[in-house]
Amino acid sequence: MSAAAPPSAMQAAHQRYRWFPYALLLPALVVLVALTIFPLVFSLGVSLTGYGLGRAAGFVGPANYAQFLRDPSFWLALRNTLVITVFAVGIEIALGVCLALLFRESLPGFRALSLLIFIPMMLSPLVIGFFWKFMFDSTFGVLAYVTTLLTGRTVSWLTSPPLALAAIIIVDTWQWTPFAFLLTLAGLQTVPPQLYEAASLERASAWMRFRRITLPYLRFPLLLAVLFRTIDTVRIFDLVYIMTGGGPGDATITLSVLAYRYGFQFYEVGRAAAVSWLIVVLINLLVMVLLSFMGKSGAATARSTGSGRAR
Amino acid sequence: MARLKVILKYVAALAATALFAFPLAWMFLTSIKPRVDVFAKPPVFIFTPTFENYSRVLDSEFMLQLLNSAIIAGISTAFSLTLGALAAYGFSRYGRFKRADNLLFWILSLRMLPPIAVVVPFYILLRWAHLFDTRFALIMIYSIFNISFAVWLLKGFFDEIPPQLEESAMLEGHSPPVVFLRVALPMVRAGLATTAAFCLIQSLNEFLLALLLTDVDAVTAPVGLANFQKYFGLEWGQFAAAATIFVVPIIFFTILVRHHLVRGMSFGRMG
Repeated sequence: MSAAAPPSAMQAAHQRYRWFPYALLLPALVVLVALTIFPLVFSLGVSLTGYGLGRAAGFVGPANYAQFLRDPSFWLALRNTLVITVFAVGIEIALGVCLALLFRESLPGFRALSLLIFIPMMLSPLVIGFFWKFMFDSTFGVLAYVTTLLTGRTVSWLTSPPLALAAIIIVDTWQWTPFAFLLTLAGLQTVPPQLYEAASLERASAWMRFRRITLPYLRFPLLLAVLFRTIDTVRIFDLVYIMTGGGPGDATITLSVLAYRYGFQFYEVGRAAAVSWLIVVLINLLVMVLLSFMGKSGAATARSTGSGRAR
Repeated sequence: MARLKVILKYVAALAATALFAFPLAWMFLTSIKPRVDVFAKPPVFIFTPTFENYSRVLDSEFMLQLLNSAIIAGISTAFSLTLGALAAYGFSRYGRFKRADNLLFWILSLRMLPPIAVVVPFYILLRWAHLFDTRFALIMIYSIFNISFAVWLLKGFFDEIPPQLEESAMLEGHSPPVVFLRVALPMVRAGLATTAAFCLIQSLNEFLLALLLTDVDAVTAPVGLANFQKYFGLEWGQFAAAATIFVVPIIFFTILVRHHLVRGMSFGRMG
């Protein structure tokens, strides 16, 4: 076999199958474009109309946006969404790191235990929310029973405003601390053990070792965890819907629940579309941060593994 | 001293696990409790187990909703896996064209799309097209999220296999499509299984779209569970039984993908 012939044969094959990359990429792209461009443009259009139950869909311009900006429920929803996001994500990260530091040592049985801890994040928030609601129930819930034992009073978790919001944060934390734990645990495995050996020679304190050696390696996983979790909590719906329905009153209403109420309870479709567009913008800002952050590593992988032989 | 430290670590680890496992254990216990014990105050831990709740659930329409969920999740996963594997291979092997990165990131951003943002237009469109409350509609809409996920996860798996094997197959005269099907695809079998399991879990768990885009015929299991209160009052024992039935396959899939959890949950960017 001569040295020159094979590459040219390959080039010929690639020439003949020049359509092949298109056949690979186009089906997915066409389906995705068809399924997403229409609804988003459509909802932008609807958000500028008075579309609603039994009403003509006249163009109202940005009136829907102006209107919900005057709605106190909107500001409450924004506030609640931010409170849930800040507290839930913050606590999840802190607890996740603690768990990961505990489980990093591979003592026998630790793998099985950590797998048990990972389960909540794979389950439907709906099932979880429902079940916690049962545990929070002030007459026969096991958690309400425990809090009554501890405080000596009947605690009605889901019907008093600040506690209801706290309950949602607790459940979100329960479900998603495992996620921060998982990413941190993976991050810890990338720390070269030699660094700790060097540090122990220098008698560095445990805290110094964590700050100077461990934390830099956790920067990427933790930022990833924060971004993914923030994107999820900004659009939180299932948990709130099932646990409190946004209540009592508006006490636990979030942006997604507000959009749901506008659209599917008051049939103010235009306003619902306006709120949901606001959520899209908010999330897109977050995604842009995520992408610029992942872009570096993403581009690096693309360069190192992308096919040098494709062209 | 060292021994004490190990013991303390086990105590802490067991306590943490108990904290995360308790609600699920409690759910299962509730599902096998007789009705009086479900509502007992204080809560009871010792009781005569019964499968009464399960037999009620097995006779209810929840089984049809489970079937809907299985069909929708299954077909959407198969469809998304096919398109996703093609596109992932395309991006991995032929992804050096201009703006390929932008395209990839656009696909990723679709995964982050808040369902509430697409539900209103889809509601109107599906009503108009007489596709409201059909499994077909949910299959297609779930595919947005699943294709996006599959492209990213599978691209990572394709990136990892060395191109030499494909090159030598091509030198032997096999065409690129044949090389893809016979050489590349079999090598990412683990990746395909992982992606499928994650897509199944995500589709089974989806709630908001199913709640608002179905009514009777295409109602999925999570929506059925949410309606439990409406139809069964506060039958927590039956709810717990239904939820347990629903959760078992998801836990099974989780155990199946346990080695790829990091990857799946971080969208292939870690692990």
